[in-house]
Amino acid sequence: MFADLFAYFYQFADVFAFLVLSAAGLAVIFGMMGIINMAHGEFIMCGAYATTFAYHAGLPLPLAQACGAIVAGVIGIILEAVLIRPFYSRPLDSLLITWGLSLVVTQGTLIVLGSSMPGIGTPSGGFHIGEYGFSTYRMILFAAALCVLGFIYLLFKRTRFGVHARATMQNAGMAQALGVRRNRIYALTFGVGAALAGLCGALYAPTMTLIPTMGATFIVESFVTVVVGGANVLLGTAPAAVALAITRTALNGLYGQVFGQIGLLLAVVLIIRVLPEGFSGWLAKRAS
Amino acid sequence: MLHLLNGPQTMGNGRAFWACACLVLLAALIYPVFADPYDVGNFAYFLIWVFMALGLCLMWGYGGMLSFGQTFFFGIGGYAYGVLSVDLGSAYGMALGNFALAVLLAGVAAAILGYLMIYGRIGGVFFGIVTLAVTLALAYFLGQTAGPEWAIGKARLNGFNGMQGMSPLSLPWFGGDIDLEETPLYYFVLVLLVGTYLALRMLVNARFGNVLVALREDPQRTELLGYDVRRFQFGAFVIGSMLAAVSGVLYTAWGQFITPASIGLPAAAMPIVWVAFSGRSDLTAVLVGTFVLLAAFQTLTIYSEQAALILMGVILIVTVMFVPHGCFVGLGRIAAWLPRRGRTVRRPSAEVG
Amino acid sequence: MKRRSLLSGVAALPLFSIVGRHSALGADPIKIGLLEDISGDLAMMGLPKLHGSLLAVEEINGKGGIMGREIKLTHLDPQGDNARYQEFARRLLQRDKVDVLIGGITSASREAIRPIVDRMNALYFYTNQYEGGVCDGNMISVGAVPEQQLSTLIPWMVEKYGKRVYTIAADYNFGHLSAEWGRTILKPLNGQIVGEEFIPLGVSQFAQTIQNIQNAKPDWLYMLNVGAAQDSFFEQASAAGLHLPMGSPIKIMLGFEHKRFAPPALENMHASANWFEELDTPAANDFKKRWHAKYPKEPYINDMGYNAYVALYMYKMLVEGAKSTKKDAIRKVIDKGGACIDAPEGEICIDPKSQHTSHHMRLISVDAQHHVHVDKDFGTIQPYWLGQVGCDLTKFDPKEQFSPDHLPKKM
Repeated sequence: MFADLFAYFYQFADVFAFLVLSAAGLAVIFGMMGIINMAHGEFIMCGAYATTFAYHAGLPLPLAQACGAIVAGVIGIILEAVLIRPFYSRPLDSLLITWGLSLVVTQGTLIVLGSSMPGIGTPSGGFHIGEYGFSTYRMILFAAALCVLGFIYLLFKRTRFGVHARATMQNAGMAQALGVRRNRIYALTFGVGAALAGLCGALYAPTMTLIPTMGATFIVESFVTVVVGGANVLLGTAPAAVALAITRTALNGLYGQVFGQIGLLLAVVLIIRVLPEGFSGWLAKRAS
Repeated sequence: MLHLLNGPQTMGNGRAFWACACLVLLAALIYPVFADPYDVGNFAYFLIWVFMALGLCLMWGYGGMLSFGQTFFFGIGGYAYGVLSVDLGSAYGMALGNFALAVLLAGVAAAILGYLMIYGRIGGVFFGIVTLAVTLALAYFLGQTAGPEWAIGKARLNGFNGMQGMSPLSLPWFGGDIDLEETPLYYFVLVLLVGTYLALRMLVNARFGNVLVALREDPQRTELLGYDVRRFQFGAFVIGSMLAAVSGVLYTAWGQFITPASIGLPAAAMPIVWVAFSGRSDLTAVLVGTFVLLAAFQTLTIYSEQAALILMGVILIVTVMFVPHGCFVGLGRIAAWLPRRGRTVRRPSAEVG
Repeated sequence: MKRRSLLSGVAALPLFSIVGRHSALGADPIKIGLLEDISGDLAMMGLPKLHGSLLAVEEINGKGGIMGREIKLTHLDPQGDNARYQEFARRLLQRDKVDVLIGGITSASREAIRPIVDRMNALYFYTNQYEGGVCDGNMISVGAVPEQQLSTLIPWMVEKYGKRVYTIAADYNFGHLSAEWGRTILKPLNGQIVGEEFIPLGVSQFAQTIQNIQNAKPDWLYMLNVGAAQDSFFEQASAAGLHLPMGSPIKIMLGFEHKRFAPPALENMHASANWFEELDTPAANDFKKRWHAKYPKEPYINDMGYNAYVALYMYKMLVEGAKSTKKDAIRKVIDKGGACIDAPEGEICIDPKSQHTSHHMRLISVDAQHHVHVDKDFGTIQPYWLGQVGCDLTKFDPKEQFSPDHLPKKM
């Protein structure tokens, strides 16, 4: 009995972690900054590749993963300054820029680094409950997802940078007039988003095939989670991930992965139809 | 009626523009006389996709609704044409009947989806994500129809490998139908495209288009002026989606083949790229821009091997950085500004959030 | 007007093509059109295929071409996009007027090309192993098919590991048809399918599947997962402590997962292969040496690349037999039977009824250190299934794909 219950929880945790980790970076870049970042998957790929390089260079895995996140973040900050900055007033053009960027990055990686990379191998270690075997690493991913949610919340709610960032996103002119250094805030916020995307890649690198287009597997889930969450990502991402993870886990278990996938998409349609402002809009309305 | 061809919602209203347009059309009409049949067929193939882009231009550029669902209707049109063609045959002008039926079917689907979204007050990014979700769901669904149980009449959907066995479009003619391939197909698509383009110009310059642009700029204010905004959005969505289905039918008939890959990502993002690149706020820009971009991407892919995708990305980035509002809207404005003669119409800003 | 100038610009550009080293060969060159994905998702598979074709062209041209005519190979990169396959197949056939078309990776790309090839009555080589069943006089299939791979692999696995089988398949035609083949072959062996799961392409998370497998307690796994994303299964299963034996028609020699994943993710994987880089015969070693001399950075010579290489020699043999590049003359050579070449795997022949190729099949497995072992040599196996169910291209050309649940009408 307990084993079965835990098995359900494990499945849910697995899908939840995937949704949260893949959406976290996008929640900041798309949810807060309004940039339709089609290159989100490429930041994830960048994190995974950097992690793998660092690991093969001899770093222990957790350090290598930190490297992955940092590298993606730094690249994000540079790209923001060079490519993204002129487009805050034209968010739809950012879609083209980032799409172009994603083409250049995936193909560039293919040409420079080859069509695939030797993997890392998932850290071994598992545990048994009843007749089921579980991978410890998947539980670490779940914990990481919770930490990321907490980190985003604290960063943007409790720190000075976070308050400045939210003020800038709401009214850049006003924030600047009050002494906030707008460009720096934009760059750092974008960097945080890119680093979170890189972290997602870093965490999933040991469990996946490393190819230049690997980011594509994350992109639909990440956009869907962020949008269902609604305009206020600090409030919306977690309940959105919970709702979608429950739907998907149930359908996966009952009807297999195909209907899990289709069901997830139809659930998105249904949720938006019922809550046209997403979860955060609904929660805000209930609170007021 | 014809005076609506010119108006505030379209670029190129002067005599110079129409003279140029006539020249281009003339050149297009006599092109097959000089060209290799392959090039004519390839030319027709590019034109096939333009309908879908024009549809998106109407709903996104004019109506402010960013739809990721063009390939959804493209797929419905294409698969419907395939099924009808296999089951009903295509003799005695039936091919054109199947064409019309398939587009109509997509129109019904668009009406249902549009009603659910627009009358449910779904807007902004939510509109994009709902259309994307429906599109991907259709692609996944069709991808798993490999088994023989997935057949409509004699027509097997055949999963990821794609549906086959449909006939090309054909015109009924004395002494046997004419298959529309290569040059005949080219003329057919060209005529259809010119008709669609002119009809859309009249539509956007009529009251419908003016209200559409007004609600793109400020839905609340338009509503307060007494218009039922939703009716106009709904109309634009259905028309735009049916145009995507026209592309779908033409594509399927052209290659006698369609797969779910034409529906899912990255195919679903392509119309948005074409329209955004060309300049979403004008029909002419989208018409020319989509064609040029398609031809350019194909050419790059042929001549530059692995570098092709990189060059495409760079072209997009550079264009967006240096030519705001889209490449061909930008060019159009320069062209309108240069002579400083004729009517210069002050256009409303095309910024839509 | 812009359109005109653009198109004339296109015509003025030099055509990208790959011509072997310029030699004093007489007559017109033989034009070969090649379509392989070297960008996008499938680049990992497409690059070795391109390399195989280039190597074969270089060798053949170096030894005087085909009947003294040089081969001129034109390669286009469809980037994994079915629509591009259609555009480029037309371009190569209509505009470049190639004598033969080679290529395509997925079955969808093959099916995209086939209607075009059929309408233009051209000759086309498909160089991958696949789910089998295409009975089309315009197509010659070089790769292995289910009766060669699965009728050898599955009975062997049942005998060695047991009768309870769990199928994990990609949710598309290849997966469905191969799963069906599995059921058909298992039935007379009293095998039992204890679970069958179809996974959408692009899915990379397998926690649910792994748990279902643990529930069902199979003796071995029948792996038909496809693509880089789905390959993530191996890492995840290994991490969850699932160390069951596995059998597959596409792992090891095709996707070289044992080179891409850190050991022991692929431990206990079995496959039935006509070619794998670890094959240790004099002919194979010689071939590998030539390949690595030309492409020292190749991560693995997979069976697709090998088949692409073999296809050119096959074409050479056919043209020389027919003394012509005309499709009908070439088909007469096949019809007579005995259209064989000495390939690095051994002698292989084209079956007149189905225009598929016989292969020397071997059962291979991967150990915990990811070394490959040959467990059994099955000898040469004919592609007999299509002929058995009534496809006979020497008499009738239906241009259709058949499967156990979609058989040709008996004549």
